Amino acid sequence: MRVRLRFFASLRERLGPGEERAVRTGTTAGALWEALVRAQPAIAAVRVRIAVNERYVEPGHELADGDEVAFFPPVSGG
Amino acid sequence: MAERFAIVDAPIDPGSLLAAVADPAAGASVLFLGTTRNENAGRRVTRLEYEAFADMAVREMRQLARQARRRWPLRRVAIVHRIGLVPVGEASVGIAVSAGHRAEAFEACHWLIDRLKEIVPIWKKEHYRGGTVWIGSQQGSPEGNAVVARRRGAARSR
Repeated sequence: MRVRLRFFASLRERLGPGEERAVRTGTTAGALWEALVRAQPAIAAVRVRIAVNERYVEPGHELADGDEVAFFPPVSGG
Repeated sequence: MAERFAIVDAPIDPGSLLAAVADPAAGASVLFLGTTRNENAGRRVTRLEYEAFADMAVREMRQLARQARRRWPLRRVAIVHRIGLVPVGEASVGIAVSAGHRAEAFEACHWLIDRLKEIVPIWKKEHYRGGTVWIGSQQGSPEGNAVVARRRGAARSR
């Protein structure tokens, strides 16, 4: 299945705005992040939060085909 | 301001925020403006640059307003956050709350800005004399300042 990745703020500067990616059925949001960290160890220190289809999810959240998966560094609005 | 919950890329107009919460049953309207301060952690701040996941940010703002209504008897809530460059002295965020009485309006407004800073997907990059830094929600921790990038040759001891 395919999902769309989006990155914001410091992660966007390191990884770009996002990309489409093929993932195995059953892949979790956390596993996807771990795969990104393996490819880019410099992001390992980021205390990431993940949103799927504009809602925060836990790392164990299972992805579905067509999901938009957004990765956030700590938010700092205000 | 047409939208009561919005991400905007232009200066925030406090008058229209207050107009958005005007209500004949309100005895109090509280307005909070967060503005760019000229220093942070000993750095001379020249401006702040904000980025948002806009659709989700507005969704989270609406959700916060719903939660506030469950906690306090409010009349109306309006929340606007600016993105892009925000010079020193200008507002990056505005929250207006109206209620029958002042206590709940003050409390709800305070709670809303605290929660907004914790969960709404917006990020600020501080531009200071000598460089830029992304600000994390937990300042002081190692990753709080996730990425520090100084202009070459401009690094100074702090």
